[in-house]
Amino acid sequence: MRHRSLVILTSVLTTGALTLTACGSRNDNKGGGSSGKTEVIIGVDAPLTGQNSATGLGIQGGVQVAVDDANKNNLVPGVTFKVQALDDKAIPASGQQNATQLVNNDKVLGVVGPLNSGVATQMQQVFATANLVEISPSNTAPELTQGKNWQTKKVRPFKTYFRTATTDALQGGFAADYAYNTLKKKNVFVVDDKQTYGAGLAKLFTAGFTKAGGKVAGTDHVNTGDTDFSALVTKIKNSKADLVYYGGQYDESEKLTKQLKDGGAKVPLFGGDGMFSDTYIQTAGKTAEGDLATSVGQPVDTLASAQDFIKKYKAAGLKGDYGTYGGYSYDAATAIIKAIGNVVKDGKIPSDARAQIVDQVGKTKFDGVAGPVAFDQYGDTTNKQLTVYQVTNGKWKAVKSGTFNG
Amino acid sequence: MSGIGPVEPAGHVEAHTEDDSDARPDAPQPDVIGTDSPRLTDRWHTLTPRTRTTVLATAAATLAAAVWLLAAPPPTTPPKEPSTPWPSTTTAFHYKGVADPPATASTRDFRFDVSVHDGPPVTVWDINAAPAGVHTSTTPPTAFTVRAGTTHHITVRITVTHCSGLPLNVNLPFLDVTLRNTHAIQHYSFIFGDRYSRDLSELLHTACDATRALPSPHVQPEVRVLTMWTRRVPAKPAESDLPPSSPSTTS
Repeated sequence: MRHRSLVILTSVLTTGALTLTACGSRNDNKGGGSSGKTEVIIGVDAPLTGQNSATGLGIQGGVQVAVDDANKNNLVPGVTFKVQALDDKAIPASGQQNATQLVNNDKVLGVVGPLNSGVATQMQQVFATANLVEISPSNTAPELTQGKNWQTKKVRPFKTYFRTATTDALQGGFAADYAYNTLKKKNVFVVDDKQTYGAGLAKLFTAGFTKAGGKVAGTDHVNTGDTDFSALVTKIKNSKADLVYYGGQYDESEKLTKQLKDGGAKVPLFGGDGMFSDTYIQTAGKTAEGDLATSVGQPVDTLASAQDFIKKYKAAGLKGDYGTYGGYSYDAATAIIKAIGNVVKDGKIPSDARAQIVDQVGKTKFDGVAGPVAFDQYGDTTNKQLTVYQVTNGKWKAVKSGTFNG
Repeated sequence: MSGIGPVEPAGHVEAHTEDDSDARPDAPQPDVIGTDSPRLTDRWHTLTPRTRTTVLATAAATLAAAVWLLAAPPPTTPPKEPSTPWPSTTTAFHYKGVADPPATASTRDFRFDVSVHDGPPVTVWDINAAPAGVHTSTTPPTAFTVRAGTTHHITVRITVTHCSGLPLNVNLPFLDVTLRNTHAIQHYSFIFGDRYSRDLSELLHTACDATRALPSPHVQPEVRVLTMWTRRVPAKPAESDLPPSSPSTTS
């Protein structure tokens, strides 16, 4: 009797303990394989230190929030997602090394990034060879999706490459129209940083501005990492330009605008999404007042869908500027996670999972935090929104937003 | 019990109960280390059969309830009331083509579909074809309201009033509109692709190619219409809500 009772009691307690353990592990985000779930990695490639790191960290943070949400909501049963973020330092060769590292890890089933179009050009082939899907939240160079001859004949170069940001073909034209028709500027001095993104954007702005009737008062180039622009300032002042357009990143333009204004040239500096960062204003201070930048998407504070994302980002104490690409990064990661959910069932990863995921991403359609998420036949986003911002009282203020319905 | 520690003198006798048939008074007593309180099993054996049955039943019921609670889907928090979307996020303009025949050489009618896919009704307060040198009017006239799930077919009449400085080859033509719903008033641009660009450029060339040779800006009679239009603006109640330099603002 004593033994029988002990056996019953022990059985009941043991069963209960095991059951509680099993149930408790379902939402364990950190357990990975130890919790009985399959660990899947979403890779991130972006500049996390040095040049452009404010926006790069915003990309990493956006992906982290998406992965946390997916794990919390058990979006893909049997799978625990993790983020592996690699620093490309905005250097194309580093991006390529990172791409190789990511494709060699079987747990990586999708990658978000990179930030820079020039870095992307060195990563696309690596991902394509491995059938690993890549979604950039920020690349805007048209040739990445539509080929080198995109203006005459669009050809998609890599089926594994997608992006949630719209292209410079729209951004450059949108900025040119605003400069000519709204700001009433007629003479522009165009500067670029000789990079894929910067030079391409400057070229497209120039084409749109001159087509509208504006004139180019002068052109020049800078190198990434330059800090002394005194010679360029003199050139701009002598050109009598009423606007300076800069194709490049905030790292150089924030110094250029300060030296320009300090040098007595009271003309606004206008740039693209690479310049749209709070760091630009922090560094340039009052000299940034009146400067302008276009950026992809609508202001996040006008998107009801983005409010929850912003709250989570801030609550998590994540670094970086979420305002530029954070929402698009969240949507890019979610597109990959949803595609994985259609391929990986009960934690079982098929041998051709990566190829299947590429196909599934192409069929993406959902309402993301930054708007509807879907891709066209080139891998470009179908959500083609742009906004012109102007520095007003020390903050970027949206002055014009538009949607392309081509 | 196991562990490291001093061996205490034996002296404690395991408690027996009347029902403990396995207990043998003459059996050798086990060594007891320390002065622990009675173990669970010790306590268990002091219970009557009825009490044990009750305890077991209660434990089983509690365990079953715990398993059921933990295995059930996590409680869903009541869905948050969705915040009202901004009008630009729910409204779409699609270009449908040129209406035939052209009204005059300097005027053409362009057809658009305006739809609202979600949220509260959106009132289109104003539509403007943006470039200086053209005048815009619509049929039906603004303001008109579009409800969610519906599409309005509208015609935008564009009349060239000034050729000087007017870009004849339009790259990314757009309509500037003012939208309003219960959440906000927004100035917003809907940008259109090749088809509208081609049709609009054709109008601009037709109207201005001949006049570009003239020494001074050519002003057509329609400029009077533009003046009248400008006077109408302050009469619109919503316009007074708009800041002069900001394209979007909450209401």
